[in-house]
Amino acid sequence: MPTAILLFLASVLGAIALVLLMPRPGRNLRPVGALLAVTALGGGWLAVALRGDLLKHLMEETLGLPSVAFAYYYVFSFIAIAAAVRVITHSRPVYSALWFIMVVLASAGLLLVLSAEFMAFAMVIIYGGAILVTYMFVIMLASQNEPEHEDDIPAYDRYAREPLWACAAGFLLLAVLLSVYYSPNAVAANPDAAMATDSEIIATHLADRALKADGSNSELASSPSASPTTVSNVERIGLDLFESHPLAIELAGVILLVALIGAVVIAKTHVPNEDEAIRAEANAKEAV
Amino acid sequence: MLADLCAQTVQVGQPGLAQLNSATPTLAALSSLALSHFLMTGAILFVLGLIGFVTRRNLIIMFLCTEMMFQGVVISLVAFALFHGNVTGQTFVIFVLTIAAAEAALALGLVVLLFRRRRTLDAGAWSAMSG
Repeated sequence: MPTAILLFLASVLGAIALVLLMPRPGRNLRPVGALLAVTALGGGWLAVALRGDLLKHLMEETLGLPSVAFAYYYVFSFIAIAAAVRVITHSRPVYSALWFIMVVLASAGLLLVLSAEFMAFAMVIIYGGAILVTYMFVIMLASQNEPEHEDDIPAYDRYAREPLWACAAGFLLLAVLLSVYYSPNAVAANPDAAMATDSEIIATHLADRALKADGSNSELASSPSASPTTVSNVERIGLDLFESHPLAIELAGVILLVALIGAVVIAKTHVPNEDEAIRAEANAKEAV
Repeated sequence: MLADLCAQTVQVGQPGLAQLNSATPTLAALSSLALSHFLMTGAILFVLGLIGFVTRRNLIIMFLCTEMMFQGVVISLVAFALFHGNVTGQTFVIFVLTIAAAEAALALGLVVLLFRRRRTLDAGAWSAMSG
């Protein structure tokens, strides 16, 4: 089982690399950690390639033109993983949030490779545009003054908590996950993997469009809607969402409303500063 | 871009729609090998988020790491959606985004509340709550 051994080796290497990359007091071993991390990632990818037909894979990889998508996959997932490592190892919260935007952009690129265009752009807009802006606001709000020197960063940001055990546990989980994914025939090629073709969807759901294709309905034929013979990713998702999950989308709306009300209630709560309260109490005692 | 990820190309003909079929592009499912690549990336992102959640002591970064775990799950969901030829995997991402947005709003509100009380973002400052 060379694949399994290689996967476990890559996981162990990755764990060691991450421990070295974590912020810690004492000597800075980050270059070594970065080198080890890249090696581990390469080993992991090699193990995946070994699982398939390595020779064929490499042929496609280097010679064949049709493997452009795989090239995009490697670029985007390398960026995503490297940025993710930076998120959890950077000692300044603002930079962690900025690196997380990089993770979001890279995984949106991965979704584009998977031809999930709508989800890719929804991720960029909602994560990069809305959620991360909220995070940045709170980080700015909750930092007293921007530290200018490395030593001014508070200790809870400068040092990681139990990096060794956390990395050991995390990468053990990763090794188990990957060995389940890659155990022989666990994920065999799906025999009936066939997305409904465009023509099927048009025939069953978008009857108007079939008419338009026929040209029999002049009013529809002149309408400036999408192409009569193809169904885009957005249309597929919209149809699936409202055909199969109408209740779920209502519940999602309710959850958002509840979160909105909850956030307003939390924001309006008056909180006494504990330090000031204790100081005021001490002053009162002294006065007595 | 999709054409090279395909294990098989499928073309389903329907009687009476011949002219539509002639213009229909072939749809492809993800090969098992390509699926395992994407699952690996998703798993690595998830595990990195998990490790970050455990090791970082800044409350805001801890919540950022949970968002990173969501990213890993999203990639796995979309890869499985293409592998099984089923759009529901992609649709589910919308609900993941909903939960992420709700969580961000509530969690960050709570963080600001905690910060106003103790003037620190250190999770260890609240260790008394563990009982």
